[in-house]
Amino acid sequence: MKTLSIIVLSFLVSLRVSSQQREDKCMSCHEVIGDNVAEMYKQDVHAHKGISCSGCHGGDPHMEEMEQAMAVEKGYIGVPKGDDISTVCAKCHSNAAIMVKEYNSILSRNQLEILQLSVHGKLSVSGKERIVQCTTCHGVHGIVSVKSPSSPVFPTHVPKTCAKCHSDAIFMRAYNPALPVDQLEKYHTSVHGMLNAKGDHKPAECVSCHGSHDIRSAKDAKSAVYPTNLPATCAKCHSNARYMKEYKIPSDQFKKYSVSVHGKALLEKGDIGAPACNDCHGNHAAVPPGTESISQVCGTCHSLNASLFASSPHKKAFDQKKLPECETCHGYHEIVSATDELLGVSPDAVCSRCHKENQNQKGFIVAKKMRELIDSLESSDRIATLLVSDAEQKGMEVSEARFKLRDVRQARLQSRTLVHSFNLEKFHEVLSNGLTITGVVKSQGQAAIDEYYFRRWGLGIATLIITVVAVSLYVTIRRIEKRQTRQE
Amino acid sequence: MNFSWGKIYSWINERVHLEDLVEFLGKKYVPIHRHSVWYYFGGVSLFLSIIQVVTGILLLLYYKSGEELAYESIQFIMSKVEFGWLIRSIHSWAANLFVLAAMIHMFSVYFGKAYRKPREMTWLTGMLMFFLALGFGFSGYLLPWNELAFFATKVGTDIAGVIPIIGKPIMIFLRGGEEVTGATLSRFFGFHVAVFPGIFTVLLGIHLILVQRQGMSEPLGLENTLGNEVKTIYGERSRTMPFFPNFLLRDLLLWLIVLNLLAILAVFFPWELGKKADLFAPAPAGIKPEWYFLFMFQTLKYLPAQLWIIDGEVFGILAFGLVGFLWMLVPFWDRKSSKGEKNRFINYIGIFIVMYIIILTILGWT
Amino acid sequence: MNEIKTHAEFSPHESKRNFLKYILSGGLFALAGSILYPILAYLNPPKQGEVEISSVKAGKLNEIEKDSGMMVKFGTKPVILIRTANDELRAFSATCTHLDCTVQYKKEMGVIWCACHNGKYDLNGRNVSGPPPRPLDEYRVIVQGEEILISKKV
Repeated sequence: MKTLSIIVLSFLVSLRVSSQQREDKCMSCHEVIGDNVAEMYKQDVHAHKGISCSGCHGGDPHMEEMEQAMAVEKGYIGVPKGDDISTVCAKCHSNAAIMVKEYNSILSRNQLEILQLSVHGKLSVSGKERIVQCTTCHGVHGIVSVKSPSSPVFPTHVPKTCAKCHSDAIFMRAYNPALPVDQLEKYHTSVHGMLNAKGDHKPAECVSCHGSHDIRSAKDAKSAVYPTNLPATCAKCHSNARYMKEYKIPSDQFKKYSVSVHGKALLEKGDIGAPACNDCHGNHAAVPPGTESISQVCGTCHSLNASLFASSPHKKAFDQKKLPECETCHGYHEIVSATDELLGVSPDAVCSRCHKENQNQKGFIVAKKMRELIDSLESSDRIATLLVSDAEQKGMEVSEARFKLRDVRQARLQSRTLVHSFNLEKFHEVLSNGLTITGVVKSQGQAAIDEYYFRRWGLGIATLIITVVAVSLYVTIRRIEKRQTRQE
Repeated sequence: MNFSWGKIYSWINERVHLEDLVEFLGKKYVPIHRHSVWYYFGGVSLFLSIIQVVTGILLLLYYKSGEELAYESIQFIMSKVEFGWLIRSIHSWAANLFVLAAMIHMFSVYFGKAYRKPREMTWLTGMLMFFLALGFGFSGYLLPWNELAFFATKVGTDIAGVIPIIGKPIMIFLRGGEEVTGATLSRFFGFHVAVFPGIFTVLLGIHLILVQRQGMSEPLGLENTLGNEVKTIYGERSRTMPFFPNFLLRDLLLWLIVLNLLAILAVFFPWELGKKADLFAPAPAGIKPEWYFLFMFQTLKYLPAQLWIIDGEVFGILAFGLVGFLWMLVPFWDRKSSKGEKNRFINYIGIFIVMYIIILTILGWT
Repeated sequence: MNEIKTHAEFSPHESKRNFLKYILSGGLFALAGSILYPILAYLNPPKQGEVEISSVKAGKLNEIEKDSGMMVKFGTKPVILIRTANDELRAFSATCTHLDCTVQYKKEMGVIWCACHNGKYDLNGRNVSGPPPRPLDEYRVIVQGEEILISKKV
């Protein structure tokens, strides 16, 4: 049976050879034997460019005999394994002479080089090969252009392709046990993921943020998703008004964020503790935080303020009116450093937006009183600091007073936090404590300055004494000399 | 009160014969002429050096040498120790006034040709003390270990380093290494409080004994007209005054005024401490040495980089060294004055040098 | 002075001379006083005897309970001394690394806590929650008999 089929096969093959002069013998044979791979390869972008199986596997596609076509002497290498896979791809893809001259390609030719430097270029657990080869994502034999919707690396397919490994807890454990494996799940809940699932290729998928061949660990300072780089990465799309047009959302978030207290801390001072976009919106599950959750989001860092607010009378009022908690007073994206100006009943103070002299009067009185208190501590602190610096300038010892000024600063910081309790009594307690300390500092500073002037008095007295002695000495000399003259 | 003074006097006299000393002092006379006023500057210098000793010892009680503590300890003295600000400011001010008074004293002696025979040794010890005073100033300037002093010392020792052959070893000796570091500070501290004061005391002792033994010199021109008769006491009364008590009391009167001046300077212009020296910081603008080095510093700035076959800076340093050396030896090459003849040439040199120092100091200051 | 006295006897203006003498000697005394006073005051060692503090006495062992904290003034800086529930003594700079508030020991939570922004540090001084960007500096605690000493870590 086996012998028969071979005979038939070779007969058929010989027939085709005669009809077609330069026929690809690999294809014709493998087709005949019903090799699935050959079928797949027909759809491959490389097949369309006229590249034979031998382009990757070596050998001579024009030889009739299998033994000759797949002879090692003809360069046949069989099925490449491990790193050899990527090496085979790179044979052409890293070679300008082939890519540009023969195929007129504009693809970059350092893809493999970049891949090997990326986090995926590390050695696998076997230690014999790198974790990811070209084929891991692009597939084999049925490779199509990344622009083709059927490609596994086409935007709508990317999440699934990455998830092949990244959602496999057992596989991932071998490399990075601390890395979660629920990114895909989270992604599906995000605005990006939902649109992606509907077949929209524009919203961000894995590659949009993490990169493709050049993926680095999120902890790598060069990674596009490293905190200091992240806002710019999001801004690639979100600041592009044309790109975002169909989604009907603004495109000025990055601009606003960069001038905010958070943006300045992260982008200018490089403080990676400051929140980037993902710290409020989530990363894989990115959505705008809801009205009710905003204080929880801010509260992850500003916890004391959040808990004070939650137990304040404002909580109920805000919930009833469906006002977003922190945002109502502090804004979003463009959150500037809070100053005392926010508090009180002046036109630019936020309290006066709801509390007026004739409307919600109780809050109006409390806001006014709080502002008065905070202002009086501020001015008292300023005067005390001035006195102490003045005394220091005069060379006086005021380190004790300097030390106490720390407590004043602390009282001011604490009072600013305590504003969120909107409880005048508690607020008053902290402030009067601060005012007592400034009183002590002021008197110490003043005493030091008085001491400085005392020095001048001391000098005056010493000068007076010296003058008296000098004058009487002078008179004595005159007397002695007069006497000496008389004696003669 | 006087009674008890008298008793104490006779008690001591019985034992050590103070009479001899009193008699000796009683026979000492100070010439009076229109240049007498210059005699006082020696006394003022002496007074200021006494102040330096007293305040210096007081500062030693709290000062800590060493890179980590020098600056902090001065800060401590200025702010924590009672009257520390006063003691430190007086020490700094008196140092400057001392150099000034010593300079005036030196030039008055020079123009009066008081260095001539038999007072060559007085002049020599005086000159040596003057050089020591400059050393005191240079080393003391670094002790607070502040930025300005650090760089001034760097520049100053660099200058020493350019002298051919011996310069480099001298520089390394001064710095205690290749660079100005904490080692330099330790050295300078040692020089300032132990080496220099020791030498200074010996020189001052010799200087004072010589002055007492030989009496005040008179300017050459004046002596010529009066001859040796000056020393006949009452006959020429208007021409002399007894050293004790007349001159001594006048000296004391002036010292009081100087003391008052110091106190006023210390209170109204307390000596600044500045910023702590940072070995790796770039040099700040306006690095200047103390004013009495300014004329040399300025000259070196004006000299071209290359002077004939030698380096301009090297030339300047060698020239200053040579002039200083010749200046110190003036009693030995000024033959005319020693013979009592007029020597205008000496005056011209002196006037030139004074003008030079004044002009270049002003140029360097502004 | 002696000499002045001898000659004074010949003076026809005895009272005037005496007056001058009193002024002069009184003046000299006052002068001596005004020179000696600053010097003696200078010699008197200041409260803080040393230029820089390298260690301070925090108190006696029995003054600090188990599972509590205590503030110690270390020169111009506050230091928090903690006696843990396991009877270990630890000391840290009490200045919060966030905005320089003074931290305290929170018994309920077993952490060092900053009241200003709810920053928390564990009992090794490591910042574990809230805004503090870095750990608290640690000081060395030495127990000599009953006495607790705190010194800078070298």
